[in-house]
Amino acid sequence: MSSVWNERIGLIAYLAERSPTGWMGRTALMKYCYFLQALRRVPLGYSFSLYSYGPFDAAVLSDLGIAEALGLVREDVVAYQVGYGYQIRAAVSDKELRQFGGELLLKHQRDADWVIGEFGNLNAADLELESTIVYTDREAYRSNESLSIAELARRVSDVKPHFTKEQVIGHAESLRSKHLLQATRNR
Amino acid sequence: MHTRFEHSLGVMHTATLLYDAIRQNSREVLESELAYNEDGLKRDRQLVRLAALLHDVGHGPFSHAAEELLPTRDDDTRYKHEDYSAAIVRTKLRSAIEDHPLSPNYDFKAEDVASFLEGSAKAKQTLFWRDLIDGQMDADRMDYLLRDSYHAGVQYGRFDLQRVIHTMQAIPGRDGGAPRLGIGEGGFHGAEALVLARYFMFTQVYFHKTRVACDVHLRGTLKELLPGGIFPKPSDADLDQYLTWDDWRVLGLLSDGKGGEHGQRLTSRDLFRRIYHTPEVSTLQDLDCLRKIRDELGDLVAAEEPASKSWYKTGTPDIPVVSERKEIAPLSKHSSVLANLKANNQVQVYAKPENAERARNKVNEILRKI
Repeated sequence: MSSVWNERIGLIAYLAERSPTGWMGRTALMKYCYFLQALRRVPLGYSFSLYSYGPFDAAVLSDLGIAEALGLVREDVVAYQVGYGYQIRAAVSDKELRQFGGELLLKHQRDADWVIGEFGNLNAADLELESTIVYTDREAYRSNESLSIAELARRVSDVKPHFTKEQVIGHAESLRSKHLLQATRNR
Repeated sequence: MHTRFEHSLGVMHTATLLYDAIRQNSREVLESELAYNEDGLKRDRQLVRLAALLHDVGHGPFSHAAEELLPTRDDDTRYKHEDYSAAIVRTKLRSAIEDHPLSPNYDFKAEDVASFLEGSAKAKQTLFWRDLIDGQMDADRMDYLLRDSYHAGVQYGRFDLQRVIHTMQAIPGRDGGAPRLGIGEGGFHGAEALVLARYFMFTQVYFHKTRVACDVHLRGTLKELLPGGIFPKPSDADLDQYLTWDDWRVLGLLSDGKGGEHGQRLTSRDLFRRIYHTPEVSTLQDLDCLRKIRDELGDLVAAEEPASKSWYKTGTPDIPVVSERKEIAPLSKHSSVLANLKANNQVQVYAKPENAERARNKVNEILRKI
């Protein structure tokens, strides 16, 4: 099958398989896809926009639903002390997964590995924060703005007031040190 | 027939009811996690109302049919109608918002409404309310399900709107995550009915074979009519051009015989015919069968429309439900019906009417062999 959505769902299953724990949550899936598109320019075709919980596109959950319906991934709900989460696991062999990922996975496997390597150990809250930092930075970059870390952190804190200023600056500094910011890199 | 204006008024009304219910049910969460005070809540209520009213103002002719013909940005992502809505609010509607006699009562500008609509960091903590306009239980879908049902003469989109509204809440974020919208346990059957209403409306109305064929022809017509086959960008220079493209202009051009083969098929109602479709929840084998049919039919296939291509998103919703003991679980944990509802990944295959019989016979032959 060659249509884009089929290849996207192959990539989703690959991300689950490559996650350090062998599974990923829904927040992780959403933010990995965002990072792939924003930081690695992988042409996934999603249209992310910002919510208080970070960049989001409902099409990612649609793809997840299709991947689950086709048996490529399995999703379980897990109860935590406060609230709940999801565990998404690849449910097919590596060979089948690659078949479904098609050219998209073949071409961008390294990008997927890179995203898992960089962000695979972050929890959901930190993924929400770092993806919001990247989104805010890219938005400024598109408007030809140049931001200081303090200004970037102020904008992010306005969206996510439940994080402390120090937390936001710490994550922003970390992203800048890895050269992942564009509007904030020169100041 | 109903208009997008009528729908927009409905979205504004429903969003207001939802906002007021959440404000009443979740005061503590709004204050502690989003730093709201009374003035902030009063300001954002008006902002959300305006955003709800204007959320669709950027739609092109025939709405979602036109979305595939929106241009792409430098980073290859496609503009969405929300980007046009935001651009229109910033320019054409700026004065209407900022110079309104009541405007000084609320501390916001047209830019704030635009930032909210497009999902920009500039919308600050107001982004929390975006789920009321574009989320899993938003005022948009609550209105369109009921309104489309009424006007289409079906009952599939009905659910208990009042029950859903009265049980909506802001739910604290888990482990440092952002707070989200959810529903009290007493309203979970209302939310369940809302999800099922979407499912039924999609399968019975929005993804109906003839409606989908019309979308194919509308897309083809617009591609033929637009210079370069693509809409102008939502930039200052091109926005006026974009705004000249409305339903009436397209209908006029169609009536003048423009729009190529697709335009002609629309005006003479000689639509593509569906010759094959996979099950609503297709398996890998079903898709393999589809591939064989597609390969064998070759040029007889005039269009192939997957449900995933639709503007409607088929993923399993993640709606948090709060019990009386303040325990939070997803709706699917409460509803065995929804726990078993799978994403629709149906694909519909079309042929030209003059080829339909030949194509169907060939499909039957292929299926007999499989």
